Amino acid sequence: MLLLFPLFSLTGCEQPQVNFVFSEKTNELVPEAAKPVKEALVRQFGNPFELTQFEGLPTDFGDVEGSVKTVQASSGEEKLIRFQVEGLQDAYPKLLGLPLEWTSGKGQGQISRIKEYNYETGTIAVDKAADIDPQPGDTFLVECTRLQFGRDLYNRHCMHCHGMSGEGTGPTSRYLNPPPRDFRQGIYKYTSTKPTAKAQNADLERTVKEGIAGTYMPSFKLLTDDEVSAIVNYVIWLSIRGETEKKIVDELFFDYSKKVVAERTSEDGGESREDVMEELKEYMELDFPDTLEFATSSVAEAWEEANMEDAVVVPETPRVPDTPESRERGRKLYLGDKTKCATCHGPQGRGNGTATQDFWTNPATNEKYPNRGLHDIWGNQLPPRDLHRGIYRGGRRPIDVYRRMYSGIKGTPMPAFGGPLSDEELWDLVNYVMSLPYSSK
Amino acid sequence: MGKGWCLFFLFWPVAAVVSCAMAPMVGWSFPYDNAQAASNLGIRIDGLFYLILFVTAVVFVGTQAVLVYALWRGSSNRDERATCTHGNHKLELIWSIIPGVILLFLALYQMNLWADFRIKKFFPEAAVKAPIAEVTARQFEWRFRYPAIGKKLQPKPQADDLYSVNELHVPFGKPVMIQLRSEDVQHSFFLPALRIKQDALPGLQIPVWFEANKEGVYDLVCAELCGWGHYKMKAHVIVESEADYQNYLKNLTQQQFYDGLGKIAANENDSESEATEK
Repeated sequence: MLLLFPLFSLTGCEQPQVNFVFSEKTNELVPEAAKPVKEALVRQFGNPFELTQFEGLPTDFGDVEGSVKTVQASSGEEKLIRFQVEGLQDAYPKLLGLPLEWTSGKGQGQISRIKEYNYETGTIAVDKAADIDPQPGDTFLVECTRLQFGRDLYNRHCMHCHGMSGEGTGPTSRYLNPPPRDFRQGIYKYTSTKPTAKAQNADLERTVKEGIAGTYMPSFKLLTDDEVSAIVNYVIWLSIRGETEKKIVDELFFDYSKKVVAERTSEDGGESREDVMEELKEYMELDFPDTLEFATSSVAEAWEEANMEDAVVVPETPRVPDTPESRERGRKLYLGDKTKCATCHGPQGRGNGTATQDFWTNPATNEKYPNRGLHDIWGNQLPPRDLHRGIYRGGRRPIDVYRRMYSGIKGTPMPAFGGPLSDEELWDLVNYVMSLPYSSK
Repeated sequence: MGKGWCLFFLFWPVAAVVSCAMAPMVGWSFPYDNAQAASNLGIRIDGLFYLILFVTAVVFVGTQAVLVYALWRGSSNRDERATCTHGNHKLELIWSIIPGVILLFLALYQMNLWADFRIKKFFPEAAVKAPIAEVTARQFEWRFRYPAIGKKLQPKPQADDLYSVNELHVPFGKPVMIQLRSEDVQHSFFLPALRIKQDALPGLQIPVWFEANKEGVYDLVCAELCGWGHYKMKAHVIVESEADYQNYLKNLTQQQFYDGLGKIAANENDSESEATEK
């Protein structure tokens, strides 16, 4: 052990070499269907150490432009070309392994991988190739720097709980309750947006900076704004990857999961495996590219829309003054049939409504959950909040509580009251709910 | 034993003394570039530290010199054999009484400082009367609860309390007191620049006071191994003028009671993105 110590100190801690994981559902497909899905995902998104970009996503890949300053003479045996560059001074300093696209000169349109990068001297080395011949003044793009920056920060600060692919199963996750969010559904609970919209970048940035009180998500306020936005950029990218996977697998699942194929090829099903595979092959050739295209573009569009100005929930009237009358109106609404708040949160707001005693149906599988009580779409049991505790996971400002009521809490049974209730009614409810922790009842 | 070994045993105490003397020059001394503590109490604690360092250094150098002398003499005189004795009463008395006196002196000498630091009766009265905030340590962050402007901190949360996380603002130039709590496991409230350290224990509310003697942003870290994220449990204590502090509280109040309409002033250290919202 003593002998190993200097070895460890010299080598340091390397980043673990791991891959993005595929969802359980993907792995339940027959291998013939799972393989192209996995290949397509790797082609579109790469792996954690070689992120791949493709057009049309609302995330910032962070391409930076540079130009060749001087080219170092190399001996004939050298396999790399080294050259000094300009224009990358402000870029993310770790460019190793990133793709470099030549935008002028002999190699225009070609892509080289950066094999060495020295931030201090501004020297880059790429593989020697017949059509790569950098000359002073040649320009190039280094792709994906922003995403890579976000990934490095994510791996340092978030991966421990949220997992390498944002699947929520990092090494620490098994000790946490509530469990860390699985990003792959693209659903985030605490947003400022309308009920059906995704989260704004600002919502996720706020969550990273402020943490989530009452859960194990701590505050990362000491990171700079730029770092936080880079992390969020990467988290959204991970979400898009997960959602794309979900969409294409959902398309295939009803015909080509292992279980379905076994049924189809059983005696009752009456089809031969060859027929099914032939049909799958046809689908893969004719329809799969469109499915993939549609999956990515629809996901990308939804994320883009969430960041539009009109996606945000803005009350039409200011907060109704927090008076005993307003609270009383809120209390009546709380107990009334219009909202049915008490069904889940209990008549006193202790989180023990009658709904917590029912067996609920899982909307994904249409089967009853084995445990009594409410569940979220990630399959976790979800007790309704005890409103007396004064812990507000989505923020404790009146507007935060208003938005929880207006849009509901996404991914949970907390419904959106934005339509059924008027602004004044919502504010009365906010006033009542926010007074509960300080009431004697 | 050969002379080589004598030199070997001489080398280590010399190396220890030299590296200790050089420590301030290479930045291995007190935090913040070996700067003076950022609180008057901290300067007194540093003084105590240097006194103890001086006493222990004298003892260390003395005992090491005797050890090396004995080794050297033994190695150059191979004819004389060691003899066994049953102790020396005088010597026993000397080396019991001298350390005893030193320890007694240190115990008495630091009593005032300890009282000022830890015993509530000796805390500055103004600080005790108006605790500035409740500090709750939890895995792995620091959460702060201030009373509303013009009000006093209550043991239980109030509707108009102000909240923040990982960023404690305190006014400059006067002693301030916080109420320290832990929500889960044992943590420790550590302000290295101010030489303040106090464990936070679940179930207890522990008063801690400090007074920064210069404005600035100081690290607040956890000094008790509290779980895997212990190293991440870092916050800032921002010491600022009374006017800036009041401004901060006003800003915090505005943000905390924000109803989504109208603009609110953006705080430079705040993540509030809605300042730009309509």
